Amino acid sequence: MLDPDISTADARRLLSQPGRLGDVAGPNGWTRRKFLAAIGGGVLGGAALGQVGSGRFGLGRLGFDMPEAFAATPIGAHDGIVINIVLYGGNDGLNTVVPYTNGKYYDIRGPANGNLAIPAGQLLALDGTFGFHPSLNYMKRLWDAGELAIVHGVGYPNPDLSHFTSMAVWMGAHFGTGATGTGWIGRWLDGQPAATADLMAATIGSSVPLHLLGAVRRAVAVPENGQNMFGAGTDPADVRMFDGVRSLSASAAGRGPWHDMFAGVLKTQLNLAIDVAPVYSPATSGDDFTQKMTVAARLINANLGFRVLDLGLDSFDTHDGQPLNHADLLTRLDTGLATFFSTLDPWYYSRVTVVTMSEFGRTPYSNDSSGTDHGTANVQFVMGPNVKGGHYGQPSSFATINNQWDRFVMTTDFRNVLGTVIDGWMGGGAATILNGSFENLGFFRTGPGDPPPTGGLPPLISVPTSPTEFVSMNPQRLFDTRDGTGGRNGPLSAGESWPFVIRGQYGVPADAVAVAINLTAVGATAATYVTAWPGGQTRPVTSNLNPVPGMAVPNLAIIRLGASGDVNFFNNTGNVHLLADVVGYFRDGTSVGMNPLAPTRLLDTRLEMGALGGGQMLDLQVAGRGGVSGTPEAVALNVTVTGPTAGSFLTVWPSGEPRPFASSVNMIPGQTVPNMVLARVGTNGKVSIYNNTGSTDVVVDVLGCFDANASGRYVALSPRRVLDTREGLGAPLAKVGQTPLSVALLGKGGVPSSGVSGVMLNVTAVAPTVNTFITVYPGGTDRPMASNLNVSGGQVIPNMVLARVGSDGTVLMFNNGGVVDLVVDVVGYFTG
Amino acid sequence: MAVSDDDLAHLLRRTEFVVRPERVAYLRTLATLADVVDDIINVGLNGSPALPANFQTEAADGWQQYVDACSFWINAMISKARPFQEKMTLFWHGHFVSAWWDVGKGFHMMQQLQTYRDNALGNFHDLTQKMAVDRAMLVYLSNAQNVKGSPNQNFARELMELFTLGVGNYAESDVEASAKAWTGHNADWPAYVYQFYPTRHDNTMKTFFGTTKNWNGPDIIDEILVNNLAKRAIAARYITKKLWEFLAHPNPPVAVLDEIAPVFAADTSPTNLMNLARLILNRPEFYTTTAKQGLVRTPIEYIVALCYYSGIAPAALGVAWRAESTGQQMYQPPNVAGWKPNAYWLNTSALAGRADFARSLTWWLRGTGRPFADGNVIYNKTVPDAVDFVAGFFGINPLSTTTRNALIAAHQAERNSTPYKNYWAPTNLLTMVMLAPEFHMA
Repeated sequence: MLDPDISTADARRLLSQPGRLGDVAGPNGWTRRKFLAAIGGGVLGGAALGQVGSGRFGLGRLGFDMPEAFAATPIGAHDGIVINIVLYGGNDGLNTVVPYTNGKYYDIRGPANGNLAIPAGQLLALDGTFGFHPSLNYMKRLWDAGELAIVHGVGYPNPDLSHFTSMAVWMGAHFGTGATGTGWIGRWLDGQPAATADLMAATIGSSVPLHLLGAVRRAVAVPENGQNMFGAGTDPADVRMFDGVRSLSASAAGRGPWHDMFAGVLKTQLNLAIDVAPVYSPATSGDDFTQKMTVAARLINANLGFRVLDLGLDSFDTHDGQPLNHADLLTRLDTGLATFFSTLDPWYYSRVTVVTMSEFGRTPYSNDSSGTDHGTANVQFVMGPNVKGGHYGQPSSFATINNQWDRFVMTTDFRNVLGTVIDGWMGGGAATILNGSFENLGFFRTGPGDPPPTGGLPPLISVPTSPTEFVSMNPQRLFDTRDGTGGRNGPLSAGESWPFVIRGQYGVPADAVAVAINLTAVGATAATYVTAWPGGQTRPVTSNLNPVPGMAVPNLAIIRLGASGDVNFFNNTGNVHLLADVVGYFRDGTSVGMNPLAPTRLLDTRLEMGALGGGQMLDLQVAGRGGVSGTPEAVALNVTVTGPTAGSFLTVWPSGEPRPFASSVNMIPGQTVPNMVLARVGTNGKVSIYNNTGSTDVVVDVLGCFDANASGRYVALSPRRVLDTREGLGAPLAKVGQTPLSVALLGKGGVPSSGVSGVMLNVTAVAPTVNTFITVYPGGTDRPMASNLNVSGGQVIPNMVLARVGSDGTVLMFNNGGVVDLVVDVVGYFTG
Repeated sequence: MAVSDDDLAHLLRRTEFVVRPERVAYLRTLATLADVVDDIINVGLNGSPALPANFQTEAADGWQQYVDACSFWINAMISKARPFQEKMTLFWHGHFVSAWWDVGKGFHMMQQLQTYRDNALGNFHDLTQKMAVDRAMLVYLSNAQNVKGSPNQNFARELMELFTLGVGNYAESDVEASAKAWTGHNADWPAYVYQFYPTRHDNTMKTFFGTTKNWNGPDIIDEILVNNLAKRAIAARYITKKLWEFLAHPNPPVAVLDEIAPVFAADTSPTNLMNLARLILNRPEFYTTTAKQGLVRTPIEYIVALCYYSGIAPAALGVAWRAESTGQQMYQPPNVAGWKPNAYWLNTSALAGRADFARSLTWWLRGTGRPFADGNVIYNKTVPDAVDFVAGFFGINPLSTTTRNALIAAHQAERNSTPYKNYWAPTNLLTMVMLAPEFHMA
């Protein structure tokens, strides 16, 4: 066998397989799917799964011929996510959770015995018995919030003191004798649906450890720093060289299949490096563990389907110099946890549980070098908003600790902890995975995705938002990529992210925190989607526009400004032109509030005056109508054009002022187009509406009113998807018919659980079976005669919706005909 | 002479890693292909220089010993007069697999490889018997723990499945019998030297390949490779196929196996492996387009080529880390089945490792006193001449039209760029040529 004193680093090497980025296949462009593929696989992607040390291997993957593609599905609303943190080297549990009222602790670790004891006055007391190491400030807050479980006396029978052997036991987590060659997470992966399992678990690092290797599947490895991957550089000289290398695969070289495959895979790698880079942007900071935790949180936020993320923190093998080293290690652990939870999108809080493991504890007595040697029973932590905080298991007794080499006797088999996690948080199957029965320790309060019983979000995380007031503007053009207005003359290309600085320009002042812009896509060369999101942030899985060739598609977008006052625009496929008008901004202040209204129809030219002709304008009285106050500053309107006879646009602006060069709704002949419009109201209480050419009917519904006397303030959020009936997110996996769909929004996607009067939603209707319209209205009220989206059969139409929330905390979504899928991204809310 | 330049270059790449001009010059003086092959395979047996002292004992710093061992081996592949010995050592390392970090003691691995060197082209039966008592193998495949009463099948199974016969050519009962036969063939403590402990040996009657007797471990190898003619023929075909695939291309022509394997099976000489290599390298099928386009350079072969053509010392390059980042951790095959060819190496992450490597070496080549310190040795040439010159520097002859045209266009674009084009154009051309597919084909 191996030397018992093999180092922990060697043990890790032994229990890991090489792995970094993997292989990619697929003929299409750089889609989200390819991004997923990018982070799949190992360096030997598809290579044999090996049992470490003794020779057997999984034949299933040996016949590796061509790279595999990976598939992933977004995380379901009730899918648990496990963050598994391995404290490599053997953490000293006794100085992590200190039994500070036990005199024997201060005896065996006192001045006469190495003086490793932590004075009671320095500890973070949890109760009258235990205190945390003073480095664990954040974990103490989790404990105080009732979200941290301590499991005592954890180990396994007949403990082995070798890093290698003990780590193999923990990673294997298999009841029974003999090495399995597989790990508990790997065997869990083996039981997942084949189409998705490849991207369900990842380790952040460069090798895949044993606990993530299954018999037929293995986790992928995501580097903690992918920014420096070959191909990701942006220096012009490097880019020229990358392009030169790409050109080597331009055509078959006549030198056989491997030659051409080499060139093709190398080109793939270069493109991949660019695509993966967003997960690493902005650059991570802190030590390597904090960087790993940051990447883990961003991977969850990106909703790629990961259910397990594994991370390691090294060097707990504190044979000497323990007081300083151990304090440093625990500080790093604590900082990493705090960073993780502050990076994590709050939308995922209730689905995340963090588990720690370490191959063994350490000797209760110090050795002769101000350190401790390999021990046995240890403490294990389980943390998360749905974890029932408290003590579990029985602390190991000091009664048997009387001589230097005495070690704790375990009271809780670690497989009980893992079994509880598997069955409580990973969808079950623990008895099979662990190959035996175990005791469920019951440290989960609820299942994944259920609102934490404490209500809303954990109190420890600050949501970077503050209430703001809306300042409406006369619409002003920001850019038009068709003619160079705003500095860009050319469409956005496939996969391009384009930053645009708004703050401090175009009438948007330096204290603006968010902007309302009317965004229109034209000239799309392929069916695509466009996402707008705050500068400096990871691109969310949301969309603002779904352009298709031959259509002009407008939508209002309310976007937080990034730290540099910028907004990013992303186009997924093909080329598309964008034009944008800013119609207002949000800033700290209280002078103007917002009153969300139940929708009310203010104008329908089909019933009243007839179509609006080319070059014609009309004035629409809004003050005092539909719940709008007598002195509104601005109104939120949903404006729909129907039956236009020409390609044209509508402009909506304050009555009595000069008509600006801007478009509120763009149209092409025959197309029904809805768009939400934030319009400042003239001093006469009216807005003006102008049609450029041809004629069209116009329908106007009012959704809200900005007024000095209104109390509601707007809080802009980073966009988050809260409903997707195509994926069973936020509602059952079913298309919506004529029964209104009730959508609970409080406590979701960053919206608080109380004190909310309305929400700002981007609603997308996907491929209805017939021409229809969608109405969004407050829960518990009668459906009004109004519409938010008008959609033709088969179309994909998004529109911004300002929705008042019913007294029951819900909005209702009504579909007038056929069945349709609905997707909702929340972009902000109004306070009560 | 009888061998075309193209055939000779192919033969040298496959047997000596790179095409060294002095070897070409000498081999061209020989009259026939058979003469050329004989020179290449005449590597000398049992004459390997002793290992440096730092590989003969356990090191205080195991990681440093590993790093040094990686540089040592790459250096041997580059600098030996007959590199085919190291090529075959690499073959046996991937066949009778043991792995550095699993074995735990690096110097045991180094000694195992020394055995491969000494027997690289010797007798296969002898080599197999030596592996059965090799210290690294005793640990890696657990025969060190194989004792009466609790037989361990690890070595017994792989001996037949992977080392000699291949799956389907033995029964599970044969594995069980073999495992019992190998009980007591352990290692002493703590030196881990092979020792037979009669008291740990299972002396019961065992039935192996239909013969019931008190089998003892080495008898098993004798049975497979010498006495049982049917099994011996299967083993000969298994090894012939594996060596052909290592040197020529996957999926050998059936005619090659049909004709060579029986000759190898009948050959009991002390150098039957050298005779097998001779047969392979003299076959016309070794020089077909299929063969010439049939193998991708492994990461180790890529590293050897880069070190050789650039002149950088392996130690200066950090080859231990480079090999791992390109997917082939030296002395550490991923499992007992060894490495696979071709697509196994062509994935994005491994190629990112190769590209990083090429870029790093570019900076080295441009450094003071190095071959391309003065970029004008490239820049003063016409664009096509510059491309051909750099390709020639890396032993690529000739480039494919596709690659050459792409490099010419890219290099022309570099020369049209600003600023510092006389710096960047040569620099980037070096990297691009190192990443040309031609340089990654074996």
